[in-house]
Parts: sequence; C-alpha cells; structure tokens
Amino acid sequence: MLKQLNYDNLLQLLETISTDYALQVPTLLADGTRLLANYGSGELSLTGPPLQRKPTSAFFPQTELLLTIDVEGQVHLPQPEKPVALFGLDRTDLAALTFLDRFFCAPPADDIYQRKRDRALIISLTGSAGPERSFLPLTEDNCDIEMSAVNGQYLALGHSELGQGFLDGFADGDPQQLEDLRRESAQQVSPAELLQQASRLLSEERVPDRFWKEIADKCILCSGCNLACPTCSCFGVQDRQSGHGTERSRVWDSCQLDAFMREASGHNPLGSEQLRTRRRIHHKLVADVERWGELGCVACGRCDRACPVGIGMLAVAEEIVRRFN
Amino acid sequence: MSQPSQTETSIYSPRPCRLLSVNKLTPQDKLFRLQLRDGSELQHQPGQFIQLSIPGLTDAPLSVASSPTRNGYFELGVRKAGILTSALHRLQPGEQVGIRGPFGRPFQLDDLRGKQLLLIAGGCGLAPLRSLIQYCQDRRDEFATVQIFYGARSPQDMLFQQDLSAWQTGGSFNCRYTVDKKPVDSCFDGETGLITNLLNDLQIDAANSCAVIVGPPTMYRPVISALRRLGLNSEKQIMVSLERQMRCGVGKCGHCTIEHLYCCQDGPIFWLEEVEHLRGAL
Repeated sequence: MLKQLNYDNLLQLLETISTDYALQVPTLLADGTRLLANYGSGELSLTGPPLQRKPTSAFFPQTELLLTIDVEGQVHLPQPEKPVALFGLDRTDLAALTFLDRFFCAPPADDIYQRKRDRALIISLTGSAGPERSFLPLTEDNCDIEMSAVNGQYLALGHSELGQGFLDGFADGDPQQLEDLRRESAQQVSPAELLQQASRLLSEERVPDRFWKEIADKCILCSGCNLACPTCSCFGVQDRQSGHGTERSRVWDSCQLDAFMREASGHNPLGSEQLRTRRRIHHKLVADVERWGELGCVACGRCDRACPVGIGMLAVAEEIVRRFN
Repeated sequence: MSQPSQTETSIYSPRPCRLLSVNKLTPQDKLFRLQLRDGSELQHQPGQFIQLSIPGLTDAPLSVASSPTRNGYFELGVRKAGILTSALHRLQPGEQVGIRGPFGRPFQLDDLRGKQLLLIAGGCGLAPLRSLIQYCQDRRDEFATVQIFYGARSPQDMLFQQDLSAWQTGGSFNCRYTVDKKPVDSCFDGETGLITNLLNDLQIDAANSCAVIVGPPTMYRPVISALRRLGLNSEKQIMVSLERQMRCGVGKCGHCTIEHLYCCQDGPIFWLEEVEHLRGAL
C-alpha cells in the first residue's frame, strides 16, 4: 500500500495516532538539536541532524519497574500503559530496534520488553529528512509505515497491517517515486564497511593489547558511549523496599565501569580499563557477530558524538583499520 | 509509574521459599536447606544455580549444593561475602526468601555416565560440585570409579567437613584432600600443598576418564595442565564451571559474558574446549 500525504495530512495522521498511542516525534530543541519527545510537547521537526536520544529507550528505558512483590510474597506486574508509537526513525534506528528485538525476544524472552514492543507502532522517516534536507536512505524493514519526504510531500508505504490501517483514506502514491527513492538509497555509502573491516582485523587477532591500553588511557569513564548506544542492552537488577513491599527494577549499566563484572569475592574478569575498552568494541564487532550473525553496531554515530575524547566506535574502528590493515 | 496489578508472571518473578534449616560449615560459610513454599521440587540438575533474593536486597546467583535425587528440599552452601549473603547468614529457619531458577547448563551427566570420574574442587567450588557428588552417590552404578580431590586454604576453611569424612570412609569414592597450610595443632590428616600435587602421581585410564573442575579462577590453568599430563587431551574429557556475576540469570543483563557466551545460559558448566581459547575465560 503506497500513499501520498501532504504536510496537513501528515499532521492529521499523527493526531489520529496520538489518541490511542503514547506518540513520540522528532522535536526541535532551543539549541537546534532534535530528540524524540512526546507529541505536542514542542515544535515538530521533520528535517535535521540525527536524533541523539536512542529510540530503543522507548522499550528499554534507563530505569524501569519490572514488578512488585507484596508482603505476602505475591508478585504484581505493572499494568499495561498506553502503547508506544515512534515516528521519525532512520535506517540505523530501525537496525538497532531489530537487533534489540532479537536479543530480548530470544528464548527465554524478556516479557517486560516484548509486552511493550508487541503493541508498538513504528514509523520511519527517510528521503529528504536529513540535515538541511539531505537524503536519508529508505529503511524497508521492521516498521509499520515507511514515510519518505519527497519534494515537500510524504510518500507513505504501509509495511504491516497495522500501518496500512492508519493510511486508509489517503491519496495513492506514485510507484515511480518509490523506485527513484530505492535507486538513490542503493547508492548510499554506509560506514558499516569500515566496521566490517575492523571486525575482521579483530577476529584475526591483528590488534595488539597495547592498542587497547592506548585507547583506554584516553577514556574518562563517563559511560556516555553505552548510554547513547541504541543496541547496548546491559542492565542491573535492583530491589528496593517501599510501602507496598519490594519493587524490582532494572537500570542501564555500563561495561566501561569497574564494578560491571566485579564479584563479591573480589574477582573481576574486567578488572582494568584496558580490558573494559577492548570489551566495548570487541563485543559489538566480534562477539555479537559470533552469536547473532551480524555486527552489534549499526553505525549510527551516537557514541562518537557523545564521547568527549574521541574514542567512539567509528573513531576506534577507523584507527584499527588505519593501523592494522 | 503505573499501579501494580496481579496479571501474569515474568522471567524476573521470584518464587517464595521457606528456610528449613541453617548449619554452620566454617566460620564464614553456612549451609541453608530450603523448600519451595508450594511444596514443589526445584527440579534442578547438578551444576545449575538459582538467583536468591531477600526483601529489599538485590538478588544474587548461588549454586545449588544438593542433588535432585534428594527430594523435598534443596541446599545452598553460602560464604558471607557481600550484602545479600551477609543478610542471608542472619536468617533463621522458618524465614522466607525468594528464588528464581534453576538456571544454566548443568554438568553433562550423559557424557559422564560410565566414565572414571576425577571430581576436583577448590575452596567454595565444593558447593556446586557437591550436587554432582551426591548424584554419583545416589546413582553409583551409573559411573565407573569416582575420585574426589579437594583443596582449601586451611583445615578450618574446608566446606562440608562431615560430607568429606563420609565420602572418604563410605567406600563409594576415593578421596584426597589438601590444604595450603596446616596449623601445627591441627588434627587434619590430609595432605599439604597445592591441589595439583594430588594429581601428579595418579594412575588413571585416561581414555575412559572425565574430569570436572570447580574452583577459584587461579586454580584452573595449573589443574588443567596436570590433567593434560595425565593424558586427558581429547574433547569432552574436561568440564569446567565458570562462575561470573550473573544478575538476571536469563541471558539479558550482560554481566556474565565471556566473549560471545553468556555464562548464565551457555554455562556455567562448559567443556574446556568451548572456552579455553576465549580471552578471560580461565
């Protein structure tokens, strides 16, 4: 199902979605940056720089109540909230969502994640939607509606039954425009090629330990890389007593921190910054490939933008390829 | 935050357990016997672990120290080391805790059956190994010879001392124990020195032997070298238990990864050849 929407149609669609969904849309901040924020909380921004806040946090938030255990020992799960709808995701955002979906839903499935994800509506935004209306390649995957900005209009492709339902009633789109978008998307160069090269060098053990020492020496342990990464999934489980009993929550954790793997005995398999820095890169470029068959980095560039000392994933991968290829 | 409601269970839901008895093993270790509050069996296999929680305290992974062949209860041998284990040590029989699990890949019993077994533990490693030893005791005809090797820092640090004596005198097993240091006034009649000393002079039928190692990280490489010298060089001859700080137990939280493996799901029991090439595994 291919439809054509003008700006007013798009606003009408978002308004309709917002009645049944907790809708988040690209929103302009005063400093010119953008983030996914609640619909209606600020100015809708349909072109511009990447959304720095990771969209996967809608399903795996920084802190999250998992359950409550009452004084009798009975377990109570949180009541379902309004389902989530996300609008404005690009190709890397959807790749990250696909990665996390597979990770959390692999047996034994994480029911807390899956319950939210199953009810969600995902709408990508591609075409002339990048910085200064630059081209963002089509996503073609893992979304309900693909929305592409073309000549001031929006070409909407309904991928799922749910997405198609929302597009009913809008004018038909031009298939030739979609073909043109596909052709242009195929010509885009992805930084994933750089990551593949770095992955190969790491797998072949071509990167010496002294390299990790060098990178680790620059790290200021802010953990910004992990917090910004849309495929990072590590968390700690915390129990706290409240008036109702015990609240069990989870909170994002960072493999860059000393306590990440430290055991009560004092044994710490990641007991140095060098080992932890290697782990951060190696896990995404080698271990994830071994386990899931693909890189754990989607080349979104968030960690590179977040890192104050220039040792984000793409920067480190570039250095690995430059020095050890 | 949403209001809680009782709808479904989650992989993060604990099950209530009653503490049946608490016994002192060493000045810093206790044996806890528990029963699920609904009276059901834990249905674990030797080598698996559970996540134990006490109201208000974050749960922690603990190996099950008893065999599933012993019905009506399960046991945990726990050293007082962190916040949760300290709180557990203060509990009395009749009090309640929560557990999740059992989790993880157990000892591969099918591969051990019919073999001559070398069961090797160091320090707290005897707790998970005890589940296998009890299993061998209760199903003795399923295994060929069973030799138990245990090393501890000192006689007073030895776990399960009653069991150690019973295994030594019971006729089912050959047992050798060693301590790093023996006080002059100690009545300990075992050996002194590293656990590898117990292995160096062994005469075994290597082709029909399997070894299981559970102990502190520093123990693995020297013990593996000693076993290699004895001729255990083929695949599926050496099994290791790799303990990590599991926080979720279900392969999601990421704290127990060893390269691409998740210790809580892929382990904690591994064949040596599955992990020896992985950095940080041993």
